[in-house]
Amino acid sequence: MTATVPPSSATPRPNVQAIGTRRRTTELGLLVLSSIIVLGAYALASLGRNASLPADILPFLGVILVLVLAAHLAVRRWARCSDALLLPIVALLNGLGFVFIARLDDQLAGLQATWTGVGIAAFILTLVVVRDVRVLQRYRYTFGLVGVALLLLPLLPVFGQNINGARIWVAFGPVSFQPGEFAKIALAIFFAGYLVERREILGVATFRVGPFNTPDPRQFGPVLVAWGISLLVVIFQRDLGSALLFFLLFLVTLWVATGRAVYVVLGFVLFGVGAFVSWTQFSHVQDRVSIWLDPWADPAGSGYQVIQAAYALAWGGTSGVGPGLGIVDRIPFDETDFIVAIIGEELGLLGTTAVLVAFLLLAGSGLRIAKGAGATFGTLLAVGLTSLVAFQAFIIMAGVTRLLPLTGVTLPFVSYGGSSLVSNYVLVALLLRISDQSIRRAPDPLAAL
Amino acid sequence: MRRQIALLGAAILICYVALFVKFNQIQVFQADALNGRSDNTRQLQRDFNEPRGSIITADGVLAAFSEERRATLRYQRVYPEGDLLAGVTGYYSFGLGSSGVERSYNDELAGRTTALKLRELTGFFTDTSSEGDVVLTVRKDLQEVARDALGDRPGAVVALDPRDGAVLTLWSSPSFDPNQLSSNDTTQATAVKEFLDAVPQKPLLIRAYQENYFPGSTFKVVTAAAGLESRAVTATTPDYPVVTEYTPPFTRQGISNFGGAPCGGTLFVILARSCNSSFAQMAVEQTGPDPMVATAERFGFNDAPPIDLPDPARSVYPTDFGEIVERPPGRPPVYSDAPKLAQTAIGQNDVRATPLQMALVAAGVAAGGEVPVPHVMDEIRARDGSVVERYEPEVWRKAVAPADAATLRQAMVGVVADGTARNMAIQGFEVGAKTGTAQLGTTPPRSHGWMIAFGGRPGQDPTVAVAVIVENLSGASAETGGSTAGPVARAVLAAALGAE
Repeated sequence: MTATVPPSSATPRPNVQAIGTRRRTTELGLLVLSSIIVLGAYALASLGRNASLPADILPFLGVILVLVLAAHLAVRRWARCSDALLLPIVALLNGLGFVFIARLDDQLAGLQATWTGVGIAAFILTLVVVRDVRVLQRYRYTFGLVGVALLLLPLLPVFGQNINGARIWVAFGPVSFQPGEFAKIALAIFFAGYLVERREILGVATFRVGPFNTPDPRQFGPVLVAWGISLLVVIFQRDLGSALLFFLLFLVTLWVATGRAVYVVLGFVLFGVGAFVSWTQFSHVQDRVSIWLDPWADPAGSGYQVIQAAYALAWGGTSGVGPGLGIVDRIPFDETDFIVAIIGEELGLLGTTAVLVAFLLLAGSGLRIAKGAGATFGTLLAVGLTSLVAFQAFIIMAGVTRLLPLTGVTLPFVSYGGSSLVSNYVLVALLLRISDQSIRRAPDPLAAL
Repeated sequence: MRRQIALLGAAILICYVALFVKFNQIQVFQADALNGRSDNTRQLQRDFNEPRGSIITADGVLAAFSEERRATLRYQRVYPEGDLLAGVTGYYSFGLGSSGVERSYNDELAGRTTALKLRELTGFFTDTSSEGDVVLTVRKDLQEVARDALGDRPGAVVALDPRDGAVLTLWSSPSFDPNQLSSNDTTQATAVKEFLDAVPQKPLLIRAYQENYFPGSTFKVVTAAAGLESRAVTATTPDYPVVTEYTPPFTRQGISNFGGAPCGGTLFVILARSCNSSFAQMAVEQTGPDPMVATAERFGFNDAPPIDLPDPARSVYPTDFGEIVERPPGRPPVYSDAPKLAQTAIGQNDVRATPLQMALVAAGVAAGGEVPVPHVMDEIRARDGSVVERYEPEVWRKAVAPADAATLRQAMVGVVADGTARNMAIQGFEVGAKTGTAQLGTTPPRSHGWMIAFGGRPGQDPTVAVAVIVENLSGASAETGGSTAGPVARAVLAAALGAE
């Protein structure tokens, strides 16, 4: 466990200084690479569609450079020692997503560009405001309440909006957003704060069930509460993907905090019971399962989307048909939930594998940050935030490929969607903050890498 | 905590490896199956937005081409000759799929074969497209002769070159207009398809090679071949008795000659006069079931010819004639189903043949016993007119020994010289033929009229083989086949030989 060292003084120690400089140089280099890939993909997609270079290629290049440089300079200024991989991977995913959104729908592309700007502003703001991640721990209960409130907000009669069968939207005048996207960060903060405080109690095994030492059953309360909230989300908002995500988030954080596998087992049992009961009680859950098992039972109706996604992926084959050259008017929600099918069609297995590897690197960097943070609030928060991104990407891609039943969540950074993009930028800013802080506060910064 | 974080990383890794496996499964291992599913129109949509090669007849007439339109689908398939070549080209429809050459040479027409792709690669900087033109062996002028000779009677005409299997004519009546079926307006095309499917004569069934019929007396050529191959029959022996009917063992139902006429003699005589009694007797008493089955199968029965068109029908010769009841010395064993064997010898009972198969029987006799692989493609040309691929002629089956083929050829020439096919004679050419009247019922008498023939310069190998069927005629006399199918066959044969 890391000893507590005072926050960084005005003059950083030489090691810290050197690490920061090296990491930022690496980051800048990787950002240039990401930008070149995105720019190339953008040009190719336009060549594929219209056989001409995009008219706005120079402004596009300018916007990329401004956004990337703004984020990079902010990190240089306010989180100098943070991890060097996260931002380039995010830039790559966000840029690639934008290329495919622009290729599908010009109007959405404009909006997505705006949201990217807002997202990077939120990213910078988060770095500026959250100078010490432990501040968040202090307000854990506030975040918990805010999280639950955000989650329940769409259920309000006036503001709540039913869109595409899920009640997860809130409209304030012309602006509508998905509060659930922000709720997940608030809840991750709450879970990390709550569990880092109680991990000693929750981790003590005093109770024997058969051959296992388990914690006192009274300590299972929080698990049951999280499970209950998830079920509520399923029942009232019909948002299976988010429910699964919240439950996973809590379970993972609890398990990492206590080291007790029994919580995971209990969690999966509860999940199984909840899933089974939902399946017997709710037609929308039954629909999802039957589509998953056999989409060809109703190829023109309920199975259409998943079948068309499979056709798009198969059409792409190993190396894809080329950016801008796919047949893309067939999959409903192709710019949000199903964007990976379009990437798979035009970039092939190589493209989908690249996306998988990018998320895997993102998850790996997140977990490395968690490990580097010792055994603190920061560790648990990093674990929670990383799990959110990694599992959300997994849930939607598994749904598109029929590995799991389809549950509508966005592919982080890649899908079209303002709420998702902005909240994920905040999430990455928090990870960078934890990373920066753990280096600065480590007694031996080089060992904390 | 470190341990849990490492395990969490492993769990995430497992999830993503599962995804990677799933992506591989869909994008690589199942890709072909998914792309080929009938409700997956991606391939089709791409094809309709890219140029497609033309189909050209042997005499240089444009049979099908793609016309550029300003519409959602960029290309519309056009068939300038209407229904004349529909049985060969088929149709090419966005909503209904494709048939004929459009289907069997789809990759060549779309430019997806390796040879065409390579050409596109070498011309990478000159902006050439890779689609190929299919040049047919079928001649437009012969199609017209066949169409005019058959008129509006249902039936079919097949003419081919016995030496290499090149199909010169493939006409089925009634035909259909592929332009309507190929309309990019799917609603209209579907309506036309529904209408055509409802027509009792089934115009979409290309009867020349997709439908089989009783071959009737034309099958006697195969029966004679089996007799010769079994060595129990020669040109001079046996001399069959002149009788009005032959009664096989185990039945009182005799096989009678047409009109109850007395008929008999040696091989050439009984073929020229088409004696039912003699051929029934030959199959039962000289040849026996095993050589009959073997010879029929060597001509191509019980199989579909490997023609380069989709869905050719099988021709059928029965293989089950019951058990051996008796083994008389010096004769083939007698089977319990001898009456059935006797009927198959004259092309009745369960024998079925496509017009194409009967043309191949004539071709096999004409080409010294070798049945060629029939084909409609002559060559594939690239956009610049250069030949990318040429059809390599092949022998499909060796039906009979050359000596037996020569005997059969002589016997068939005899049918024209002094037999039931005298109307087939063409001045200046040697023509061999065999008539057929396949009985469909006796009250009222109905029949299919048949003619199979070959012709060529005297003393040289025949260059054309023909089979004609005129369906479902009223009446069933010995002349029915010769008088109905004969003139059609003669017209096509004469035109193909360049006579008159």
